[in-house]
Amino acid sequence: MAHPSQLGFQDAASPLMEELLHFHDHALMIVILISTMVLYIIVAMVTAQLTDKLVLDSQEIEVIWTVLPAIILILIALPSLRILYLMDEINDPHLTIKALGHQWYWSYEYTDYQDLGFDSYMIPTQDLTPGQFRLLEADHRMVIPVESPIRVLISAEDVLHSWAVPSLGVKVDAVPGRLNQATFIVSRPGVFYGQCSEICGANHSFMPVVVEAVPLDHFENWSSLMIEDA
Amino acid sequence: MIGTVRKQLSSHPALIPLFVFIGGGVVMSMSYLARLALRNPDVCWDRKNNPEPWNKLAPTYQYKFYAVGIDYSKLKKEGPDF
Repeated sequence: MAHPSQLGFQDAASPLMEELLHFHDHALMIVILISTMVLYIIVAMVTAQLTDKLVLDSQEIEVIWTVLPAIILILIALPSLRILYLMDEINDPHLTIKALGHQWYWSYEYTDYQDLGFDSYMIPTQDLTPGQFRLLEADHRMVIPVESPIRVLISAEDVLHSWAVPSLGVKVDAVPGRLNQATFIVSRPGVFYGQCSEICGANHSFMPVVVEAVPLDHFENWSSLMIEDA
Repeated sequence: MIGTVRKQLSSHPALIPLFVFIGGGVVMSMSYLARLALRNPDVCWDRKNNPEPWNKLAPTYQYKFYAVGIDYSKLKKEGPDF
C-alpha cells in the first residue's frame, strides 16, 4: 500500500509492474536531464551581459536540435511500445477469477473447479483492529496462489467501477454488460491494496480491493475452507 | 511545388532532417493504419463472402503488431471444435 507523503510508485509485486517502474525511471531521467539543460540555458541567457549582434542563423545547430530530440523520442517510444504489447499478451493462466463491482463492494467468484463466491466489503473505521489500514481493509480478501498466472474477468452489476491494484500494475474498468480481462503474475507473497478507480456513487472511496498472494498449498486450504463455510 | 521546396532546401539544408523525421512518422502511422484496416480480424470488408473474420482465426495467427514474449507458433486451440 502507499505510505504517507509517498510521491513515487508502490513497490512492484508483479513482473509487469517492474517493467512499468523501470520505464518510468527511464522517461523521467530523460525529462529531468532536458529540463535541467533548458533551465541552465534560460538562466545563462537572462544573466548574460554581452550580445552577439551578428548571429542570425546556423544550419549546423538546426540539424542538431532536430535530430537529437527525434532520437530521444525514439528512445522513449521503443520501450513504451514494447511494454504496451507486453501488457496485452495471453500467458496461459492457471486460475480464472471473476471480480464484479457493485455499489459499494466487490464480489469474487472462483468457478474453475467448484462454485466459490463471496463479497468483499470495506471494514468500517470503527471496526478496525490495531495495525489495520483505514479505508483499505476488506472483510474477505481475494486470495490467489503466488507465482501463478492469474486471469481476472472484471465486470459490474450496476454502474461503472474500476478494479485497480497499483502494486500489481493492474487497473481495469468494470463496465456493466461487458467482460474485461486482466492477467498478472504475483511475484512474492503478501497483501496488496487498491481502491475502486471509477466514480460510482456515495461510497466510491469506500470499496477497496485487497489481493492476498499465498503459496499454493495455503491457497488450496483457504479455498476448501471457504467452500465448506458457504 | 516540389521545385520550390527544392530551391529553398538548397539554401536551408538544415530542413532535410525535418522532412526525414516527419515524413518517416507519416509513413509509419499510415502503414500501421493500413495494417489495421487490412489485417485486423475485427474489420469486415466483404459482407457477403467473409462476414465475420474474427470467427476464422487459427490459434497461431499473430494479430498484434509486435509479439514480445509469446511464440505464436506454439499456441494451441483451447476451446472445443465445432
